[in-house]
Amino acid sequence: MTSTATGWRLGIRHVTEVAYTGSARSSFNEVRMAPLTLPTQTALESRVEISPPAHAWTYWDYWGTQVVAVDIPEPHERLRLTARATVETSPAPPLPAAPSWEVLRDTAARGPESEYSAATELTRVDEAVAAEARRLAGGLGPHEAAAAIAAWVHGQVAYVPGSTGVGTGAQQAYDQREGVCQDIAQLTVAMLRSAGLPARYVSGYFHPVPEAEPGETVAGQSHAWVEYRAGAWVALDPTNMVEVGVRHVVVGRGRDYADVPPFKGVYQGPPGEPPRVVVELTRLA
Amino acid sequence: MADIFDAYRPARAWDEMFAAPGVPRTPYLAVFAALQRLGANDLRYRADQVARLFTDRGVTFAFAGDEQPFPLDQIPRVLAAQEWDEVTRGVAQRIRALEAFLADVYGRGRVLEDGVVPRALVLSSPHFHRAAAGIEPPGGVRVHVGGIDLVRDEEGRFRVLEDNVRIPSGVSYVIENRRAGTRLFPGIFAEHRVRAVDAYPARLLASLRATAPEGVADPTAVVLTPGRYNAAYFEHTLLARLMGIPLVEGRDLECHRNHVYMRTTRGRRPVHVIYRRVDDDFLDPLHFRGDSLLGTPGLLNAARAGNVTLANAVGNGVADDKLLYTYVPDLIRYYLAEEPALDNVETYRLDSPDRVAWVLEHAHELVLKPVDGSGGKGIVIGPHAEEAELAVLRAAVAADPRGWIAQRPVALSTAPTLIGDRLEPRHVDLRPFAINDGTDIWLLPGGLTRVALPEGQLVVNSSQGGGSKDTWVLADGSRDGTGARKLVAVAAMPQSRDQQPSPFGDESAAGAAQQMQQ
Repeated sequence: MTSTATGWRLGIRHVTEVAYTGSARSSFNEVRMAPLTLPTQTALESRVEISPPAHAWTYWDYWGTQVVAVDIPEPHERLRLTARATVETSPAPPLPAAPSWEVLRDTAARGPESEYSAATELTRVDEAVAAEARRLAGGLGPHEAAAAIAAWVHGQVAYVPGSTGVGTGAQQAYDQREGVCQDIAQLTVAMLRSAGLPARYVSGYFHPVPEAEPGETVAGQSHAWVEYRAGAWVALDPTNMVEVGVRHVVVGRGRDYADVPPFKGVYQGPPGEPPRVVVELTRLA
Repeated sequence: MADIFDAYRPARAWDEMFAAPGVPRTPYLAVFAALQRLGANDLRYRADQVARLFTDRGVTFAFAGDEQPFPLDQIPRVLAAQEWDEVTRGVAQRIRALEAFLADVYGRGRVLEDGVVPRALVLSSPHFHRAAAGIEPPGGVRVHVGGIDLVRDEEGRFRVLEDNVRIPSGVSYVIENRRAGTRLFPGIFAEHRVRAVDAYPARLLASLRATAPEGVADPTAVVLTPGRYNAAYFEHTLLARLMGIPLVEGRDLECHRNHVYMRTTRGRRPVHVIYRRVDDDFLDPLHFRGDSLLGTPGLLNAARAGNVTLANAVGNGVADDKLLYTYVPDLIRYYLAEEPALDNVETYRLDSPDRVAWVLEHAHELVLKPVDGSGGKGIVIGPHAEEAELAVLRAAVAADPRGWIAQRPVALSTAPTLIGDRLEPRHVDLRPFAINDGTDIWLLPGGLTRVALPEGQLVVNSSQGGGSKDTWVLADGSRDGTGARKLVAVAAMPQSRDQQPSPFGDESAAGAAQQMQQ
């Protein structure tokens, strides 16, 4: 369990602002920004403020993610969502003993993990990429193979903000060798699956400063990384190539981005500008 | 005496009407007698009358881009009371098992844990809508209306061909066919020997109201249609009118705080039950296709919050996948601890390399069906296919075995059908409609008999240019010897009873012809 001696306590403030070129109405949205409570993480509180004032309703979806559904019938020129959370994190647990590839392949085909074994629209890659994944994994144990794939993706795809969009798939990110954490995570997920490891996409937050002083607020980002299944779920951050531990906060896990989007919605009205997003992270203890 | 049945030669299949040439089966005796005295010209005349009636009433179907009257063949399909009892038992059992399966896969997933159905089958289904997980429909009903397609095999046994638990359509044809049928055979209907179909709208409305959200004393139900360009728009308007409830489109509804309202000239009015004829993918742009203009954003969460009932429920397509079909007998045993009352058609899953190889080798002897197809699209009847078509099929099957099932070709039963000026055997199927109100599963007596009009064709579907027949279920007590005695009594009645001139000819000589058979 989380202990204050080795874990962190983090405060998160995530502001999403959409300005419409005219007036929007009948706006229906879902927000997935609340940290989960897990063996490695405890959510102490989370809430969402909405402007203009709106009806908010919470449910937990198929993936176990907390969803805040927001609807705003009245005309409005801008929408501002502020999600706040306090969460305790802990260092990475030791690697579990990995089963043999044979056992892994069987559970990937038949067990609950099979959900995370098949390609989805955003994680579909061509045979060349799949073959590369198998080549990288060749002769290695599951953990070593996963690490090799993550490192390879990290080396291939440059982190270039703005180079892709929310609908960009793993193959396209690979073809253009550029992307953001979402693309790097989806390509890694795709290749882990190609190599025979069930793999899932993780949405959350990442504190960028390793030895942050308590009380100091830094600019952060909505982040994405991966988990693969080998004995237990093991997390990897192929964008940053750092251990997933006290600085990572898990919000949701799914097959790809589309299962766990932090914010999605539909409305009637003229097109809006791309949302402006600010994430602030504060190590509290 | 020469009659229109003299030239009728049953095909190599179970004939619905004739046990042997010239020897009608018992349930058909009255129909046989009524038709026997008609000449080819009478039949042609009656057929024209029916076509005109259907065009006037707007009973049309969009086929190959054209609105055409849905062809009603005037020779009814007749089922004896005990045959119908068997169908009712089998269909109701099937619906109960599918309801249990849907509750399970959108809940705990026990059936997957226990390995009765492979997990991958459910997870890879494009109709397994994870957004529907956790929605608890009132009364536990997801299949408010089910349409289970049946065929009769070479021995005359009913078998299930496929399940339809999303938005089964066609019930309007049952209602309209009967309207025409009572004009074609006024005498027989006057005797109350045929079970009525007009209770359907009231039964459907009762089910919709019974499954309204809890605590709503006087629920408001609506029919949600994609609009006039939908092939089944006629049916949507008919059902709304017969149920006496509003027909709405997506833009007429709005969600607010997880409640659904209908915009009316007198302001907003709450809606509690939506009999929706809009597909899942278009129902709620927040969760499904964001570009859909046919649905209403917020519907799914309103259902999740328990404030509106969607009939049928979202995500039912995972249960009528043609691959899942192959497991339904197992589901009946698993959930109900019963043996299936109706068998499937023998079906092969392409779930191992050996099986795939076997199917590819025997494609010319099998029926291959796309798992996800509906309306008969993509089905290849091996014995009828050209070599080139089989080559394309083999490539498609090899590329995606999960996308196909193979079945033994069943020589579907035939029924005499007016083709030109002659009666010829044509293959038929049967779609009974079942309504679940949470307590009871009720079947509309008869259902829709579809007939494949081209000679030898085995795909009977309105979207493939099929026609239909009025389908009669004889009332209990009119079967076997009892029925025969009753017919004798009819013949003994004074004929003046039914002397009104009818454009469809006179069928009051039923008894006389009947006696010739005895």
